[in-house]
Amino acid sequence: MSDNGKFEPRIVGFVCNWCTYAAADTAGISRLQQPPNVDVVRVMCSGRVDPVFILKAFAEGADGVIVSGCHPPGDCHYNSGNYKTFRRMPLIERLLEQYGIEKGRFHWGWISGAEAPKWAQLTRDFTEQVRNLGPLNWKRMFASKEE
Amino acid sequence: MSWVTLTIDGQTIQVEEGKTVLEVARENGIHIPTLCYHPALEPYGACRLCVVEIIRKGWSSLHTACTHPAWDGLEVKTNSPLVRDVRKTIMGLLLSRCPNVPIIQELAAEYGITAPPFPVEDPTENCILCGLCVRVCNDMVQAHVLNFSGRGVKRQVGPPFMEKTRQCIGCGACTSVCPTGAIEIVLEEAGVYQAKPLGPTAAIYVPTLQAVPRVPVIDTDSCIRFRQQDRTNGAIADACGACQMLCEANAIDFDQEDEFLDLDVGAIVVATGFEMWDATKLSQYSYGKSPNIITGLEFERLSNAGGPTGGEILLADGRKPERVAVIHCVGSRDHNAHEYCSRICCMYSLKQAHLVRDKTGAEVYEFYMDMRAFGKGYEEFYERVQEEGVVMVRGRGAEVEVLPSGKLRVTGEDANLGKLVAADVDMVVLSTAIEAPHDASEVASLFGLGRTPDGFFAEAHPKLRPVETNTDGVFLAGCAQGPKDVPDTVAHAGAAASMALALLGKGEVTISPAIAYVDEQFCSACKTCISLCPYTAIGFVEADNVARVNEALCKGCGTCVATCPAGAITARHFTDAQILAQIEGLFRIPVIEIPNTQYPIPDTQLPPTKESNHER
Amino acid sequence: MAELYRADVLVSCLHGRSPELVSALKQELDRRGLAGEVKVVETGCRGFCTMGPVLTIQPNGIFYTDVQLADVPEIVEETLVKGRAVQRLLYKEPATRKVIPNYDAIPFYSKQMRIVLRNCGMIDPQSIDEYIAVGGYEALGKVLSSMTPEQVIAEVQKSGLRGRGGAGFATGRKWEHTRKAAGEVKYVIANGDEGDPGAFMDRALMEGDPYAVLEGLTIGGFAVGTQQGYIYVRDEYPLAVQNLRSAIDRAHEYGLLGSDVLGSGFDFDIRIVRGAGAFVCGESSALMQSLEGKVGEPRAKHVHATDRGLWDRPSCLNNVETWANIPPIMNKGGEWFASIGTERSKGTKAFCLVGKVRNPGLIEVPMGITLREIVDDIGGGPPKGREIKAVQTGGPSGGCIPASMLDLPVDYESLTEAGSMMGSGGMIVMDDRTCMVDIARYFIDFLKDESCGKCSTCREGIKRMLEILTNISAGLGKPGDIEVLESLAKTVQLASLCGLGKSAPNPVLSTLHYFREEYEKHIAEQFCPAGVCRALIAYQVVAEKCKGCGLCIKACPQEGISGTARQPHAIDQVKCIQCGACFEVCRLDAIQVVPRSAVTVGSNGGNGYKPVREVVR
Repeated sequence: MSDNGKFEPRIVGFVCNWCTYAAADTAGISRLQQPPNVDVVRVMCSGRVDPVFILKAFAEGADGVIVSGCHPPGDCHYNSGNYKTFRRMPLIERLLEQYGIEKGRFHWGWISGAEAPKWAQLTRDFTEQVRNLGPLNWKRMFASKEE
Repeated sequence: MSWVTLTIDGQTIQVEEGKTVLEVARENGIHIPTLCYHPALEPYGACRLCVVEIIRKGWSSLHTACTHPAWDGLEVKTNSPLVRDVRKTIMGLLLSRCPNVPIIQELAAEYGITAPPFPVEDPTENCILCGLCVRVCNDMVQAHVLNFSGRGVKRQVGPPFMEKTRQCIGCGACTSVCPTGAIEIVLEEAGVYQAKPLGPTAAIYVPTLQAVPRVPVIDTDSCIRFRQQDRTNGAIADACGACQMLCEANAIDFDQEDEFLDLDVGAIVVATGFEMWDATKLSQYSYGKSPNIITGLEFERLSNAGGPTGGEILLADGRKPERVAVIHCVGSRDHNAHEYCSRICCMYSLKQAHLVRDKTGAEVYEFYMDMRAFGKGYEEFYERVQEEGVVMVRGRGAEVEVLPSGKLRVTGEDANLGKLVAADVDMVVLSTAIEAPHDASEVASLFGLGRTPDGFFAEAHPKLRPVETNTDGVFLAGCAQGPKDVPDTVAHAGAAASMALALLGKGEVTISPAIAYVDEQFCSACKTCISLCPYTAIGFVEADNVARVNEALCKGCGTCVATCPAGAITARHFTDAQILAQIEGLFRIPVIEIPNTQYPIPDTQLPPTKESNHER
Repeated sequence: MAELYRADVLVSCLHGRSPELVSALKQELDRRGLAGEVKVVETGCRGFCTMGPVLTIQPNGIFYTDVQLADVPEIVEETLVKGRAVQRLLYKEPATRKVIPNYDAIPFYSKQMRIVLRNCGMIDPQSIDEYIAVGGYEALGKVLSSMTPEQVIAEVQKSGLRGRGGAGFATGRKWEHTRKAAGEVKYVIANGDEGDPGAFMDRALMEGDPYAVLEGLTIGGFAVGTQQGYIYVRDEYPLAVQNLRSAIDRAHEYGLLGSDVLGSGFDFDIRIVRGAGAFVCGESSALMQSLEGKVGEPRAKHVHATDRGLWDRPSCLNNVETWANIPPIMNKGGEWFASIGTERSKGTKAFCLVGKVRNPGLIEVPMGITLREIVDDIGGGPPKGREIKAVQTGGPSGGCIPASMLDLPVDYESLTEAGSMMGSGGMIVMDDRTCMVDIARYFIDFLKDESCGKCSTCREGIKRMLEILTNISAGLGKPGDIEVLESLAKTVQLASLCGLGKSAPNPVLSTLHYFREEYEKHIAEQFCPAGVCRALIAYQVVAEKCKGCGLCIKACPQEGISGTARQPHAIDQVKCIQCGACFEVCRLDAIQVVPRSAVTVGSNGGNGYKPVREVVR
């Protein structure tokens, strides 16, 4: 909580090295306004994103998670890594629901290296969305259960 | 191939069999006048001007050189008194038929005839009925439009029944072969044929005049050989082929087709260049509504010495322009088109202004927003052009209007004066933007390239790796990466070539250390990873019953790592442990708390840093 | 087989009144119940044009001339029933008025030698049986059963036969070339595009004896080694086309055409192609272009048609008359044929004798006969006691041979040497009322329309020659015209593309050569001595000779002659249109032709006449 009592969500973004990371980088170089709430974890490919990472992020205290890679078809630096993401993410969505995590806290999608403004827009929109959902406090739930 | 020996004007000549006397004479520099002869067409022997005296087996007689085969033992006299006498009579006859055709007048004068010796029937008659047009139309073009009608003195050339016919494809072959200029092509409003005054003038042209080697190409969309249909079955007729017939080097091959080459290469330089932005997309510039509104590239064609006017800057009606306006930033720096600056337009516009001043002396108005004379010597050139009297109007040209008189009115705001200004000019040159080629996205996915928002290919790093791409071994050169002028392009291309050579010259490839490896102790031999690897870098080793990563092939994407159900695969530098630690770390570092964090943050207010623990 | 008749009535020719005559004869025979006894046969041309229609009654050989419809009952009654000749219908010798009952005794026929025209007028051209009955197809049978193609060619070479189309190329050599030319597919072609004005030899042949042409062509096809023959006939000859068509059909029926001719294994067929009537299509390369379906225009012929002709294949083209000569040569042998004629021109030649002779018609004479024999003996000499001035041979592009050279033997070389040519066989006799300038102008005018227009010398040169000739005959000639004419003629002759162009100046050149003073008179004296060029002449009454009979007054269409009976008449030069009617009717030679300048014309000082002929620009 901030001083004025306003809730500031913490969001982890798993981004692929070639597209979304490049977009985020460009957004930064271009000084595009984006909220500081999103922390980026770079992976080589969105296909590298193990579901464990997402759960870990929530478990560590994230209020929202973004996974973003290259546009299918064809944009993927590794030809087909994004397709694996494409297959994997809907499953994780269902898994998260079972854990009681609202749909709006998880976003996955595609942002190419040329789409820096889109990245900035996504971070702004998603931050606002998660802010409206309020804190998740999964970690505390775990903690209390463990106790 | 057998050889024959003949004598022409006392000169003994040995030639291959199968040529005509005329061909042999011309090859040996002996002049024989002709009117109905064309090297690409069957000899016809109608004008009779090429008569020569041929002595064979002791018999002398007159024959047309164009039709007579060069036989062994012939003795040919091309300029004997008898020949000259006969030619003189022929020229007298032709001059009396067509008294006002320059080439006939010249030839007649050569034989000492200055005035028609017989009564002139029709002083406007230009046709000598040589049949070149008829032959080219039927034998070459196979359009079968022109033919003779009537007999004897009533003979004339024309389409069937001397009426307009849709069979005419307007190819203009007849006008180009006509020796006397008797045929004129008239463009009709809704005609089949649309003139393209600034396009290539023939179906064979040299696409880039300065290129080395200067190899012409055939435009198969315009070439008669690729278009003319057989009248009977509609199939593509075996028409024309004049170029092939006339090419002495036998360099023309109609069967050549685009082919796909499979090459194994170690590096690729993507230099796919740019396209000109289509100026019709912004209708205020009226491009296409007047032939005198042209793009900068069309101006280049117009002022080119090899262009349609031979380098003269002329209006569509052939006049010299008196006032010319150049409008900068058409399609560039425009939220309705491209937002970026095309970089080259300022300087080429100035050059074109200079050319117009130099070649025609016309007044030139440059409508510009900012003058970006950023290169070496550019600013000096800008000043020079100003000194030449080019009028600089600071402000984007807002609109071009075609006036009923045909003049063009350019309006815009002169920001320096703070006033709306207008200029009525004869010609408008639009300095159109350059943009990424329309198929850039296909090229991008082919090579795994990224693209920047302007559509050009993304370099690996805008400052530090300007010619490399995110794909190893693929480099960018020139405008494929973004708008560039010639010096920048040369420099960029040089850099790309150097990078490629550096890569190849090493003889070995450095691969990224960030690759996957299998901890064989944990591998359960499920083979899930094998089918997932896009590089087939994981092989299954039957002997050891484990999967193993080929380090030279692995690019380190980590898909297998995320998939391995046994957790036996690790991505070096992106291990699970590292990433998890990274995630953990995120939540253990102090968070910058921003007061008044209602987004967006006002620019004026820099957030004071404050340590806080978000978690607790 | 056909029924037997006791008599045949042969009716010639196939034109004019003959069809009515035939039906009248048949009706009359029917009426008298003789239809089963006497056969009426329509035959081809007998050649005796002035006397047509002619009737020959066989087996007696009685020859009736100028038969009228009204004569039919008398002929049937007298000749066919009673066996007597009708005296007034028999031919009478013009000079002696002596009656000659049988046709072979008539000088018109007795001086002739009919080889090509052997069957013309003797058989029914539609009947193959009649052709076979007179020995037809014997030659083909002999060739196919006992000769090799080489032997056939050798026989033709031995005969010395030369092309009857005009140029006189040795036929045997042409066949040999075609046989030896490389190529599987070859053609034989019969040229029946007879375009010369006044010539109808080929027409008579194709109409009157079509099987002879077919047989000749078939033998030729066998000799040069081809299965396909063409006959190119001008479309103005519908009867020839019809007769040839039905002849081809019959020949097919009889196994004389088609596959396996006469069981010899030789396949041969003939197609008829109708020409569209261009004179130039008689030229070999133009004819072949026309056969191919293209515009009939000549090509440059440096390679012979025997190597590359129709559709670029070896082609043997001969005139129909040449082809019709082949069966007799095969039958009687080349040596027999070579025994006729002169040393270099063998056999006979058909001519169309027209113009100022008493007996114009179709004739066939042995080579080497003199022009005088043809004109005087066969033709009966000039009518009305006029003088022969010249004989024009070779069609429009032939030349005029002056009367002084009438003893010239008729053969290829002599005619060419005399500045004319054999041509396809036109022969026009001209008397002293013929103006040579006008004759040249007439032929050049014909050629102006018939030149195909392809090559500039022929098209433009002929046009300009015509211009000058027209001017000369209209009184607008000027000094130097003759020289310009000569240089034009020389250029056209030397530099033109085809035979038509090369020979087109012949009428001009030959008349200039033999009658130059006549041209000069036209220009210098403004006078046409023959009284033809109306612009240059006037008619005058010779007062001393005129007896005032008034014949001329009645004849004058302009009512321009006045005078009282038995007083010399006078011609009003203002009204006179120089038609010459008065001159023709005057029996006293009291009307004479004088130069226009010799008479005073018009009262108002003007010359009072309009040029009759429009001056060609």
